Amino acid sequence: MINPATLPSPDDPAEALAAVVALRILADKLERNAVDRALAQGWSWSQIAEALGVSKQAAHRRLANPQSKTTP
Amino acid sequence: MFTFVRLVRQRIRDMGTIKALLLTAERYANADGQKEPGAEHVVLSALALPDGTARKALHRIQADPERFQDAIAQQYRDALENLGINAPHDADLNEARPLSPGKAYRVQASAQALMERLRTIVENDQRQDVRCPLLSAHVLQAACAAEFGVAVRALRVMGAAPADLIEAAKTEVTEYLAHQR
Repeated sequence: MINPATLPSPDDPAEALAAVVALRILADKLERNAVDRALAQGWSWSQIAEALGVSKQAAHRRLANPQSKTTP
Repeated sequence: MFTFVRLVRQRIRDMGTIKALLLTAERYANADGQKEPGAEHVVLSALALPDGTARKALHRIQADPERFQDAIAQQYRDALENLGINAPHDADLNEARPLSPGKAYRVQASAQALMERLRTIVENDQRQDVRCPLLSAHVLQAACAAEFGVAVRALRVMGAAPADLIEAAKTEVTEYLAHQR
């Protein structure tokens, strides 16, 4: 859990914004990792989309591996 | 007239360099799990260009070009640690598959800004010397002109001060041209 006491100071926006960029990259990688593992365990795109809170089409468009034969 | 023809020929050769630069940058970005390259991936690509001037510029200020990729990961870890997050080492996250290329020559905003600065820098040098090609040292100059972003943060992690690196890169361009004469 993120401790607000350790967040970069608002007086240092450069560090705060760099942290935002790093979080986005980390979140993207975690998301793809989790989706790949879910698919490997037999999850459907409907289940993945529901868990992510997005539409099935949006999840598939953004996260499907073009080399795989998974269908939404 | 002769100068103009030489300039046109040089610009055509430069287009080949830009193509190689962006294609390799895209491969670095995709391997890093990103669809489009950012400025940091363009710098990585520049370090692989055969002219070698970017690598020499880094060596000139006692920075190791081989460390740049690790420095990118390090600056992400540093940024996350500021949030109290101990990010897993890249090895853990690299289990995620690399991405496939997106649309050709689509780049992130940071890379687009770098490419625009690069054009200005190279055009200025070509006004001084029409034989001046687009060199990897020019890419470093363009990257170091940014105040913020992953690329300059990574360079700072390596101990490469942007102002010093710009001067070193300019020196390498001059030396490259001197050797061509």
